[in-house]
Amino acid sequence: MTSLDPVNATPTGLPVSSEALSAEPVAESGRAGAATWRVFRRDPLGIISLGLLLLLVVVALAAPLLASYPASYGTDVLRPPSLQYLFGTDSLGRDVLGEVIWGTQQSLLVAVAASIIAIAIGTLVAVIGAYFKRLDVFISVIVDLTLSLPVLPLMILIAALIGPSTATIIGVVAAFSWPEVTRLVRSQALTVVNLPYVDAARLMTTSPVWIIGRHIIPAVTPVIVVSVVVTASRAVLSAAGLAFLGLGDPTTWSWGRILYEAQQSGAMSSAWWLTLFPSIAILLLVLSATLLSIAYNDARNPRNRAR
Amino acid sequence: MHNHSTRRGTMRTGIRRGRALTLVTAAAAITFVLSACAPSAPEASSGPVEAGNDTLTIATTTDVVNYNPLIGNSRSDYWVTNLMYPHLLSIADDGKKEPQLATEWGYVDELTGYYEIRDDMTWSDGEPVTAEDVAWTMNAVKKDAPSGTFYGQLANFVSAEAVSDTRVEITLASPDTSIVEEIGFWGNVVPQHVFEKAESVATFANNGSDGGWVSAGPYLLTDVQVGQSYSMDRVDEYPLVEGGTPVAAKVVYRVFPDVNTEILALQSGEVDVIANALPPAQVEQLKATDGITVEEVVGLGYAHMTYNMTNPDLAKTEVRQALAHAVDYDAIRTVVLQGQAVSTGSSPLMPVLSDYYDKSIKEYDFDVDKSRELMESAGYTADASGNFPVSFRLIYSLQDSVTSQWAQLVKDSAAEAGITIELQGTERNTYLAQTNDGDYDIYAGNFAIMDDPVTNFTLSYLPGGAINYTLVDDPELNALIAKAAVTADSDEKISIMRDAAKIVHDEVYDNIMYTQNLYFAHSSKWEGFVTKPSELLSIVNPISVASAHKTAAQ
Repeated sequence: MTSLDPVNATPTGLPVSSEALSAEPVAESGRAGAATWRVFRRDPLGIISLGLLLLLVVVALAAPLLASYPASYGTDVLRPPSLQYLFGTDSLGRDVLGEVIWGTQQSLLVAVAASIIAIAIGTLVAVIGAYFKRLDVFISVIVDLTLSLPVLPLMILIAALIGPSTATIIGVVAAFSWPEVTRLVRSQALTVVNLPYVDAARLMTTSPVWIIGRHIIPAVTPVIVVSVVVTASRAVLSAAGLAFLGLGDPTTWSWGRILYEAQQSGAMSSAWWLTLFPSIAILLLVLSATLLSIAYNDARNPRNRAR
Repeated sequence: MHNHSTRRGTMRTGIRRGRALTLVTAAAAITFVLSACAPSAPEASSGPVEAGNDTLTIATTTDVVNYNPLIGNSRSDYWVTNLMYPHLLSIADDGKKEPQLATEWGYVDELTGYYEIRDDMTWSDGEPVTAEDVAWTMNAVKKDAPSGTFYGQLANFVSAEAVSDTRVEITLASPDTSIVEEIGFWGNVVPQHVFEKAESVATFANNGSDGGWVSAGPYLLTDVQVGQSYSMDRVDEYPLVEGGTPVAAKVVYRVFPDVNTEILALQSGEVDVIANALPPAQVEQLKATDGITVEEVVGLGYAHMTYNMTNPDLAKTEVRQALAHAVDYDAIRTVVLQGQAVSTGSSPLMPVLSDYYDKSIKEYDFDVDKSRELMESAGYTADASGNFPVSFRLIYSLQDSVTSQWAQLVKDSAAEAGITIELQGTERNTYLAQTNDGDYDIYAGNFAIMDDPVTNFTLSYLPGGAINYTLVDDPELNALIAKAAVTADSDEKISIMRDAAKIVHDEVYDNIMYTQNLYFAHSSKWEGFVTKPSELLSIVNPISVASAHKTAAQ
């Protein structure tokens, strides 16, 4: 426990669940954050993942500098990768490299926006449930119910009914991602709510908003950070899946749209570059996000720091 | 005229699916390219081909939803039922009608048409195919109004009567010089002794539950595995095919998820024919693939955009002209269609309708400066960045990959002219609903078969016409179409229709962009296919399927 902030240290006498996530139900203070970073940077997988994610963010932000926006058509149709077209061209003669680069913007936008919405709703519902015990039963039922729904068919149905657009994709993905966040955060928040410092806070104020905002949410932040990354990568997968089914925004480039257009033009059987490069991009993002969350979680766990 | 909507709706069905492209050709130019590699008709082989024991496997992408050929249906429905229920007439590459069950047809007088039918056709249960079947089918369709192509043709039809075993006469409500051929081509003939047991032909499922199907075509459906396959056995007597017996013993339609998997299945030898038209970008590659033969098929329709005239901006002729001049038609045909489409001269009278085609009607030039001038003369002023204060919503179906691709090109070139187009691609059913409600500024889509100009103009340009997507009502045009419909003399009729087409062109009541050449792939182990226009008939029409046989080397 030496590495913990003494003010928020877990009382040793309290029966705390031993699972990894609740091992350290405390806010990341400056010192804890630094300690986490010290461990994290020794993990090559974590650093590589972080580097890849940052690279993708840079690609998204610098897209206009890296490639011109894919023109509406070109004359070199379905050319395999070459020096002129590093990723080849599609059935309208457009440069696949440009499509992948500009698609990064859309894919990251969906990932970030959908996970922010999902995290906001998920966390709020979780801490409210954990704090107000009477609501908890009701919220748990809703969450369990939503988690048991067949998500993909529902996403397809809703996206098809509302009509394809970036906002629809973000909304649909967020709408089906928040219960996961709620479940994860709730289990953590339940432990936190019972800690003595929360009881102490109750003596200072009657405002649950203040207690939740000042004490409970900071205590569950690490879990939120982990679920941001996981939710974001799931959002990318869902968005690509929906776009591949033709339910994405047909006027904005995304990785899923490249796959969808390859399928629609019947070029999948012959033009391997149409499916390979966007798939690699999706793989990179999802894999690095997952590895990053694992590495972060490991680094945050004091048991690992002791190694 | 509402009735016709179903027919056109039906025709649209397959076209708008992404993989299923459509349409015509100025065939001559391209046909010779194929004739080198594609075995065409049965006479290409030496002597008549003996009926064999082979199975011809055909790939499709949809299940059969409807076994009743009188009801509006999908591609697979049409292909499978077409092998069992004959049509009176077939169609040639230039849209002219050819004999099938009927040997002769025409008019007794202004209000009476007739068909003489063959006397050597029988249903697979032994009953002869008679004029009674033909007349009964027509009368039942008129009475029960099934939601299909066939009923759409019966607006002027009153009743049919079998005056002998081989002659049917139909009575018309008003003179109509197109109806005999249109009914003959679009209508199937069904066995009276089977279908009359049903309360209504509009609701009869004909799903074989009552002891299987009865066929007067080359094949009889015997086994259905929904989602997988439709097996059909040869009918021994089919007089329309050379030799009198279909060659392949069995025909199996197999269902695949999409055209990509169909192509893979063809390459691996799992199937012998792909019934869906090939995506334009795949044609060259498959032509170059060993063991695969690609056949060219003449389309008989067109792809077009219409401008909704209930929109006050689009009601102005100059605005429609400005839009028409802001489309790079050549780029669309060269890139999206890979050169597999021909200009119609922006006229609904396509080159393939050789009698009607009018060379003097020229395609709208792609000239954005001209578009700007037209917009200015219509009273619009461009802002500092060169954009006019208009925005139009263009709808198309996402299942139609070719239209989805060129819609983007249309948007980009219109932007050059300072006109904003907002693309709204939606799932097909949403798109059809929007189309029916007039919920669009610009409509983009296509028709598979527009074989008869008078019928098409009636539907497309008369007020209330089922496919009048421009919502146009021009008295001069209306009068010309009405006159053509009652004109029996063909030269005079052609001249009237050309005048009408000129109005449509000059006023941009319709922006016809191209007719598309279609390509179909089959295994080189098979030959003897007979091509017919459009994806509906292509190389899977009854004569073609019945004539196909393995190459001598097999």
